[in-house]
Amino acid sequence: MLSLLFAILATLPAWAPPYWTVLGSLFLVYLAMAQMWNLLAGYCRVISLGQQMFVGLGGYALAVLSVYYGVPVWLCVTVGGVVALAFALAISFWLFRMSGTYLAVATWVVAEILGLCFGNWSFVRYGMGLFIQPAYGVSPDQIYYAALAVGAASVGIVYGLLRSELGLGILAIRDDEEAARSVGVNVFRCQVCCFAIGAFVIGIASGVLHLHLVFIQPYKAFSIDWTVKLLFIVIIGGLGTIEGPIVGALVFVILQQLFSEWPTMGLLLLGLFAVGIMLVAPNGIMGILKERYGFEILSARRR
Amino acid sequence: MPLTDLIQPAINGILLGGLYAAVAVGLSMVFGIMRLVNLAHGDLMILGSYLALVVVGVFGVDPLISALVTAPVMFIVGFAIQKCLLNRSLRNGSETALITALGISIVIQNSLLLIFSPDARSLATEISWQSVKVGDFLHVPLLYLLGFVAGVCMIAGLHGFLKWTYVGKAIRAAADDEEAARMMGVNTGDIFAYAMALGVSIAAVAGILLGMTFTFYPYSGPQYLIIAFGAVIIGGVGSVFGTLLGGLVMGLAQVMGGHLAGPGYQLLMTYGVLLIVLTIRPEGFLGRSVSR
Repeated sequence: MLSLLFAILATLPAWAPPYWTVLGSLFLVYLAMAQMWNLLAGYCRVISLGQQMFVGLGGYALAVLSVYYGVPVWLCVTVGGVVALAFALAISFWLFRMSGTYLAVATWVVAEILGLCFGNWSFVRYGMGLFIQPAYGVSPDQIYYAALAVGAASVGIVYGLLRSELGLGILAIRDDEEAARSVGVNVFRCQVCCFAIGAFVIGIASGVLHLHLVFIQPYKAFSIDWTVKLLFIVIIGGLGTIEGPIVGALVFVILQQLFSEWPTMGLLLLGLFAVGIMLVAPNGIMGILKERYGFEILSARRR
Repeated sequence: MPLTDLIQPAINGILLGGLYAAVAVGLSMVFGIMRLVNLAHGDLMILGSYLALVVVGVFGVDPLISALVTAPVMFIVGFAIQKCLLNRSLRNGSETALITALGISIVIQNSLLLIFSPDARSLATEISWQSVKVGDFLHVPLLYLLGFVAGVCMIAGLHGFLKWTYVGKAIRAAADDEEAARMMGVNTGDIFAYAMALGVSIAAVAGILLGMTFTFYPYSGPQYLIIAFGAVIIGGVGSVFGTLLGGLVMGLAQVMGGHLAGPGYQLLMTYGVLLIVLTIRPEGFLGRSVSR
């Protein structure tokens, strides 16, 4: 089933209208970012409200390098991932001394500070933002295949990670953090590892996304809206499952397009949706499918 | 730089801090009892500001008088949100509740955006521009003074309420040990709702005073949430007078930061202080209960 989905996605630009290709790119980029938030929140028990810091860093790396220094865009996108990764590692030793709510708010505040710094920085033209001219040289199909690579890689990375030795620890944390700690799982290592991987993937995904957006502004790029979207995608799909973000991202992109003329209304509904799901089915759509029908693909479970 | 140049912003900062403390005290109480950061707290405060705007528009009264309507309405709103939504999701764990609160926050922000448009709003009246002259060079803005007095009075009132009334005692009991409180016959679900309602209505009154001081937008909530959270962490979770102190520090950081580094850096300074506190005490100041 998964290979069928992949085959459809891989050949999409060949047979589908261009509009679908754009939607497909958005779906894949959101999928990659949501997969990473899910890795943190669903498996490592780390709720980060600051993933937008990596969106901003990845986007700005692309904008600054390609506009000011004429670096080829795909190299810029990669560097964006590395910058996000480096930043994540730099703050992780400070960050992971905290836990729970404190960590959630701390990540958010860090992202806000980055946004304010970029907004007050003359080099990146303050809050006016940067226009990413070189992105016009990239065709929608190229963006789509880049998004496909990032999206597929994100699923592959999470799956591979969970099946690895480190993943055993991560799954133990998902089930019970204290118990995992007491049997010798290095919780700190698992969490930092997932945080860093997430930063890298989100940084790259953000680069691809900004090739599509062609414009970056600090108050948009570092806005908590990004994390809110990821959170909704994961919650709607199902926290702590690999399939959850796939389903969630699909629902999200469709909803976003349906309400593209009334974005406020769309967000409002998304908020209501999230509250409703939390009350009725805290495990999301995949949770319901799993409970009722035993339906599961890409299980990281060991039989 | 003459010292007198610093006295003025310091006074303004401390006065503003009194108001911030009033915003934060509800957050602190809820955090202390349920171990839940109500991510919608800032938005509920802004909802209070907008409600006051409507009351002022419809009845043509002074914004300060509108508190007579706004506070009870927000009390009911807070009670309902806790009783119908948060209590239910708290049963599924604190992450579930955190996400529910975030959902509520998004709903409030976008509803306000739909109804009131993204334009800046203000509740400013004549007293917003008046100031009291102290000595030869100090001008204390009347509204800041009023906000400080109101903030401190509300906090003192809350302290008294928690100390001497049945509901107040039950709130403190639930904060100390929810299980034990329930075994003693306290309906903790209702107590949670009362605590939330009290906190939200105090924040809403503070929201009116802040709306008279600054302009506000549908998306202003999160900014005040972060400030309030800072005050809670600095002052110690659940400690009413600690929150007052925390609010003063946050207000001072904001006004002094703006004065020394320029208006673009006001919030930066406030956030910086919060990060420093989180660095020194990465676990926050847990383990203290409401109003000891």
